[in-house]
Amino acid sequence: MSAGPERHGTRLRPGPLSFIFDGRRYTGQAGDTAASALLASGVRLLGRSVKYRRARGLFSAGFEEPNALLTVGVRPSVIPNVPASQLVLSEGMVLRSQNRWPTLGFDLASLLQAGGGFFGAGFYYKTFIWPSWRTYEPLVRHLAGLGEAPRACQLPPVAIEHLHCDVLIAGAGPAGLAAARAAARAGARVVLCESEPACGGELEFEPGMIEGRSAAAWVAMTLAELATLGARVLVSTTVVTDDSGEFIAHAEPGGLPGRNTVYHIRPHAMVMAAGAIERPIVFCNNDRPGVMLLGAAERYLARYGAQVGQEAVLFANHDRVYAAAQRLLAGGLRVRAIVDTRAADAPGTDSEVQRLRESLVRSGVECLSAHAVIGAEGGRAVRAARIAPLAGAGARTGRRISCDTILVSGGWSPALNAGLHGSDARRFAPAVGAFVAGSQTDWRRYAGSANGHFDLAAVLQDGHGAGARAAAHAGARGSAGAHPQGSGDAPPRLAPFARSPATGPAEKRQFIDLQNDVTVADLRTALAEGFIDIEHVKRYTTLGIGTEQGRSSTVVGGAILAELKGETLAAVGTSRSRPPYHPVTMQSIAGFHVGAAVKVARRTPLHDWHATHGGMLEPMGLWMRPRYYLASGANPFDAAVAEARRVRAHGGIADGSTLGKLEIAGPDAAAFLDFLYLSKASTIRVGRSKYMVNLREDGCVLDDGLVLRLAHDRFIATTSSGHGTHMLAHFEYYRATDWAGHRVSVTDVTEAWAAIVVAGPHSRAALSQVLGAPWQGRLSQLAHMDFADGQFGGQDLRVLRASFSGELAVELHCRPAMAVPLWEALICAGLEPYGLEALDILRLEKGYLVSSELNGQTTPLDLGMESLVRQGNPCLGRELLDRPAFHEASRPRLVGLRAADGRAQFLAGAQLTTEAAPAQPCGYVTSSAYSPTLGEWLGLALVARDCVSERALLTARDPLRGSDTPVRVVSAVHFDPSSERMKT
Amino acid sequence: MSVAPAAARHYSALALLRARIAGPGYWRPLWTGRKLQPAYDVVVVGAGGHGLATAFHLARDHGIRRVAVLEKRLVGYGNVGRNTTIVRSNYLLPENHYFYEDSLRRWETLSRDLNYNVMYSPRGVVDLALTDDAFPALARRGNAMRLAGIDAELLDLVALERFAPELEPRRKRRFPIVGALLQRRGGTVRHDAVAWGYARAASARGVDIIEDCEVTGVRTAANAATGVETTRGYVQAERIVFATAGHTGTVGTMLGTALPIETHLLQAMVSEPIKPLINSVIVYVSPGNGETYICQSDRGGLVMGGHLDGFPSYTREGQWHRLEDVVQGAVELFPRIGGVKILRQWAGTNDMTMDGSPIMDRLRYDNVFVNAGWCYGGFKAIPASGAAFATFVATGTAPDLIRAYRLSRFATGHMLDEPGQGPFPVRL
Amino acid sequence: MTRIACPFCGPRELREFEFHKTLPTPGAQGAFARTYERVADPALSVEHWQHVAGCRAWLLVHRNPSTGVVFAVELAGEVMP
Repeated sequence: MSAGPERHGTRLRPGPLSFIFDGRRYTGQAGDTAASALLASGVRLLGRSVKYRRARGLFSAGFEEPNALLTVGVRPSVIPNVPASQLVLSEGMVLRSQNRWPTLGFDLASLLQAGGGFFGAGFYYKTFIWPSWRTYEPLVRHLAGLGEAPRACQLPPVAIEHLHCDVLIAGAGPAGLAAARAAARAGARVVLCESEPACGGELEFEPGMIEGRSAAAWVAMTLAELATLGARVLVSTTVVTDDSGEFIAHAEPGGLPGRNTVYHIRPHAMVMAAGAIERPIVFCNNDRPGVMLLGAAERYLARYGAQVGQEAVLFANHDRVYAAAQRLLAGGLRVRAIVDTRAADAPGTDSEVQRLRESLVRSGVECLSAHAVIGAEGGRAVRAARIAPLAGAGARTGRRISCDTILVSGGWSPALNAGLHGSDARRFAPAVGAFVAGSQTDWRRYAGSANGHFDLAAVLQDGHGAGARAAAHAGARGSAGAHPQGSGDAPPRLAPFARSPATGPAEKRQFIDLQNDVTVADLRTALAEGFIDIEHVKRYTTLGIGTEQGRSSTVVGGAILAELKGETLAAVGTSRSRPPYHPVTMQSIAGFHVGAAVKVARRTPLHDWHATHGGMLEPMGLWMRPRYYLASGANPFDAAVAEARRVRAHGGIADGSTLGKLEIAGPDAAAFLDFLYLSKASTIRVGRSKYMVNLREDGCVLDDGLVLRLAHDRFIATTSSGHGTHMLAHFEYYRATDWAGHRVSVTDVTEAWAAIVVAGPHSRAALSQVLGAPWQGRLSQLAHMDFADGQFGGQDLRVLRASFSGELAVELHCRPAMAVPLWEALICAGLEPYGLEALDILRLEKGYLVSSELNGQTTPLDLGMESLVRQGNPCLGRELLDRPAFHEASRPRLVGLRAADGRAQFLAGAQLTTEAAPAQPCGYVTSSAYSPTLGEWLGLALVARDCVSERALLTARDPLRGSDTPVRVVSAVHFDPSSERMKT
Repeated sequence: MSVAPAAARHYSALALLRARIAGPGYWRPLWTGRKLQPAYDVVVVGAGGHGLATAFHLARDHGIRRVAVLEKRLVGYGNVGRNTTIVRSNYLLPENHYFYEDSLRRWETLSRDLNYNVMYSPRGVVDLALTDDAFPALARRGNAMRLAGIDAELLDLVALERFAPELEPRRKRRFPIVGALLQRRGGTVRHDAVAWGYARAASARGVDIIEDCEVTGVRTAANAATGVETTRGYVQAERIVFATAGHTGTVGTMLGTALPIETHLLQAMVSEPIKPLINSVIVYVSPGNGETYICQSDRGGLVMGGHLDGFPSYTREGQWHRLEDVVQGAVELFPRIGGVKILRQWAGTNDMTMDGSPIMDRLRYDNVFVNAGWCYGGFKAIPASGAAFATFVATGTAPDLIRAYRLSRFATGHMLDEPGQGPFPVRL
Repeated sequence: MTRIACPFCGPRELREFEFHKTLPTPGAQGAFARTYERVADPALSVEHWQHVAGCRAWLLVHRNPSTGVVFAVELAGEVMP
């Protein structure tokens, strides 16, 4: 399509741009939205409704757009459901209409609707019961769903910006600008958020005068002043929710994700000046393309020089329609008639309005009072409006005025909640026909239309006052100066009117919620079925649950419900809206935490070494740990078997730095640890360590580890890698509560010490070689569970003789900077690294426990620690361990398992059954692995005590993986039961 | 003495046709707001899923004629209409999986039983394993289910890719997916429909459903409860059932019994509707508070939830940073949805017990019953809970199915701690 | 505005803190009551929190769980549960 004449509008720039809509190329102008460019190109049909597939066009000029949602972009990375009214075009943009197949002009599913109204509220609940919902569901899913599902996403991570200010103002219309100026003049640091790409709100098209200037000039001047006062003005940015006093604002420039920002704003005071949203009046077929909000026509004209149609009928219940009509007329729209629901002799008629009316009549506009548009004619576009008097003859049939556009305005509903949490009191304002702010707090105020002000002078004064008071509350001491004086359109003098008369089947075509196809008939059905409360009506009919959350429909819906119930709107209320106020792109909410950065990764000091030496790193909690090394084998199984075999035969080194390490110090440290562990720490001699377990408050095992006594009053407690954070908090908790006032401190030293495990028969030789002469004597004197502190390369080194593999082994605790040199020296001395898989084989051969056994469900009695329990240390959790259930025969007991035939594989997670009860598990396999040393599969299991006897035969049942393996109960210590290897 | 309501209309395609011919007025209210009577055999407090289902079964299965459900606000206004609609029975502990399996079987036929389409959609619930460590834990659970006759499948990456290609299981991720546990019969149910369907069915059997009627106290005499004080006056009751979810702790306070319950917020959120993308329920738990469960409603919205907000609250206002956690998980799972928008966020108040399993027992008095502590699992439990609890209330003996949910289990040590988390709803 | 006034760090945002548990009835004796019982009062909840993303102090917080208003914050050890 060729470019039309250049249009002029506040948001347009010279220069054409082309775009594609439903496969056809169109030309718009720089600054155009998809809506304005399509309007200017004469395109009316922009989509179909989701339920009835009725033809739909633009309805609004803002976020409240229910109809004209487009899918933007080229597959696979499309963005669905973008309101055409918000989408700023860029060259070559590809747009598609939604809810139609095969084409927008002809939609197959629309034939389904021939039954008209069959699919009304509650339809789905009453049928599709036989044979089952699942039979019909796929079809329903494909018919529903608005826009296309993206197959890919190419959006960059979104920046989160944290702002602190004195006063946050939401909305930069006249009230918001006046508030911002007052607050800034008073010395407050101001942040002003405006959803639209430009400030001014209605001043963009309402030709008011403020402080002796045109409204537009005043807006520009005020913005300039705000800039000099250091206020931050964020356009295309909507305050979407209040998170306990921190406000979340979302910027989506151009109405499309790509350059988004999320602001977390912490103000000392807040002014809500989000304006009001025009609401329609409901009449028959009020959903046809060409039926639009009156304000939308003005906006498209002023912002983009775009005409919404050729010939229009205006339908309203207030005085503002006359000024609007005059401006539209001047803009080139042929206004055929103004249909005013109010009686001509309504009291208080403004003489200015009277003059306006007379002048419109002289221009050929028919002005009808006490009339209503009762219907729109036309299918894919409005062809005529049907007009009828509200009383007397002709009220039922009316007469026809041909037109292609019906502009409707039923008043304005303040955007009160703006998705904000909390139920700030609201009150019904009859003059507004909607709810306004019911209360103000010092730190959160409302301004402008939210307070029921629709007269420019009052709005400016109210905004100024709110800004000044907010600044004062925030501690600004300066003077806000005088409030701006201004005058604009006359007050609306609105007489609430929600829908035109209609009866019977006609109500099925009176649309309240356009996006969800909710009609007056649906409300009637809901009431008949006992859904009386507005919240019930919302859920039952889907009124107001669309992408715009019923921005333009909830008040009208409430009013019509009130009419049907014979109550007042004040009593009926409107359904509660939920945050966010505007839909927020998920990529924005995720912020930086996408892809590899979704969660922080903890790395040991040896991380880079592993990564560059074939260490297959995998997450363990937030840590990254090497699972195996490629040099040992091509797959995890082969590699782990080779590494484990090598450790037993020769030796190896492993990175143990992820172990949690807590330093407990102070005169009461020993007593404190006695409280936190099942066995006593106070009996540990200085220079010795001990394997200990912690109980949870309820008597189950929480964690295990070694406790090292560094000095009489100083210990290191190690925790398992996954529990480090939790155990720190646990220790700190009891230090701060039960042990408050005692002399003991808890310090997390996990990251102050790297840990290298050196294990295997040749480990001592290698270690001697690496650590050199000063250590040789000491190493040979270290008994099992002893440790020695010293130096290596001028840095602290602790050598702890402990073994988690059953081999002669030490843990080297060194400063992180020394980890790589020490590790590399050990490799030079002939030791090779082994990973987690091998570590798991080695510990399993020895029956040592890991999280598979310490799973939060097991007690020390289950795990064979009776002797520790019997010591009677009155530790945390000890008392509840005496509860009878923990001593029943059905409680589990830790055992070892081997395949009955000595060969078969059985896997962790298999359930164990006895011959007597083959379907009733008596336990399960907690861990299993192939042991290269013993040449067969080994397992650990928790088995009910009454099913455990030495050599008992059980079946490891693994229906998930298709195996039933006879297994035999054996000792949990599969290898070297007397532990000679590690003790000599 | 309650009066039988005007004959309810049977729902069917034929009835829809009749209604088209008969015009408005054909349909009847789903439940009747009859006048509150001065005395009842059973007063059920709370017209949520559990309260309504209990009342329905009391009337249908046990022939108890005078039953009232008293509701502070509206039928189905609490958690039954605020959850993420997931139903499943993939529990580890026998006490739980037999119970939830009973529930799942009832879900399968509930639409027919209630003559109300609750849209049970067995689209499969997928629990992802993110580390090789997590895989045996899933296998343990799945094998326990299978031996109990409950469907479960362990999916490796190939099988997972076949079942849910939209997940792109092989995609490189911070926490790579290694496999999954699938329960095909698990899925979703239209949540509001459950409340309405039960209310309709209960009402049709003579149960009085009284909205805007808050219970403020329990009147007792000689070691038994005699009735409840309400905002509409005193109501005498032979037996009293509390099914008040997040307000159960306060019921305990009212009766002078401290319960092992904390009330926490659990939020949920929904995206704008898009065409079908996610065809099952995906559960993703990653380290560092990363939990996201996500499915796509029949309307097309991506419905998501995650962890508790993390501290006791009755506000029903979810914290933004928890929304961030959930959405981060969702985008991590499905990077393609980065450009899709979140429409609404809301929260329910969950009665979290100290072992994560429910409490179905008497409370303080022989004729006061409490059905509570549903933690994350309340919605999916409704059909089994209603049937079993009604039997308990009617006969005075708890059926085997719910015996383990007794309150005394904390004192005896018979906790049902599915995740092994101990007596803390929010783990340190 | 929901902030918790840490006795060491001053008023800080909620997300810096982690809730641990609601306390049992004052004077509750024995491990069972301390482990399992919780006071459920919609107007006042007495809780232990930790300033995890700050000084790591353990705090005793008095809050209204129906409004989120924080009444008082003190160090956990100063008042024994």
